[in-house]
Amino acid sequence: MDLSEINSPDMQKFYSEEQQRAMVNEMVAKLTSECWDKCITGTPGNKFSSSESNCLSNCAQRYVEMTMLIMKRFQSMQ
Amino acid sequence: MDSFSNHSSTPSSRQLSAHDLKNQLKSQLALEYAQQFLETVRGKCFEKCITKPGSSLSGSESSCISRCVDRYIEATGIISKALFSGQQ
Repeated sequence: MDLSEINSPDMQKFYSEEQQRAMVNEMVAKLTSECWDKCITGTPGNKFSSSESNCLSNCAQRYVEMTMLIMKRFQSMQ
Repeated sequence: MDSFSNHSSTPSSRQLSAHDLKNQLKSQLALEYAQQFLETVRGKCFEKCITKPGSSLSGSESSCISRCVDRYIEATGIISKALFSGQQ
């Protein structure tokens, strides 16, 4: 391909979509790791107990909520 | 579909279409993701399942590892749902 096409609008769009996707994947991976450590305390079983899966869901949602709070706190310091 | 598709009708072994470049990047990213995922799961399951390393992997350790891998994949799904499906 023509080298100029590497920076074509079409490719730029592709890059930013992939970047977005990678960021989402990274966030999910990070939260899974954190929440796994908090919520899955025993040996992994054949299926999650309802308290384990609730804990995982809650953990992810509270993490997001906490992020908002921390951002607000920082903003109020400026 | 896009303006580049015309280029594929004049193939040249040294030319890379935008389509090919996208596919290459995509598979590179997927490989990267898979490697990182493997690395994480390995760490998590080693911690959970191999608590006292013996002279060989016992049957119960192996089955713990299978369950651990399955649960870790499931956990990834639960987290992603909790973040993006906006329930409660």
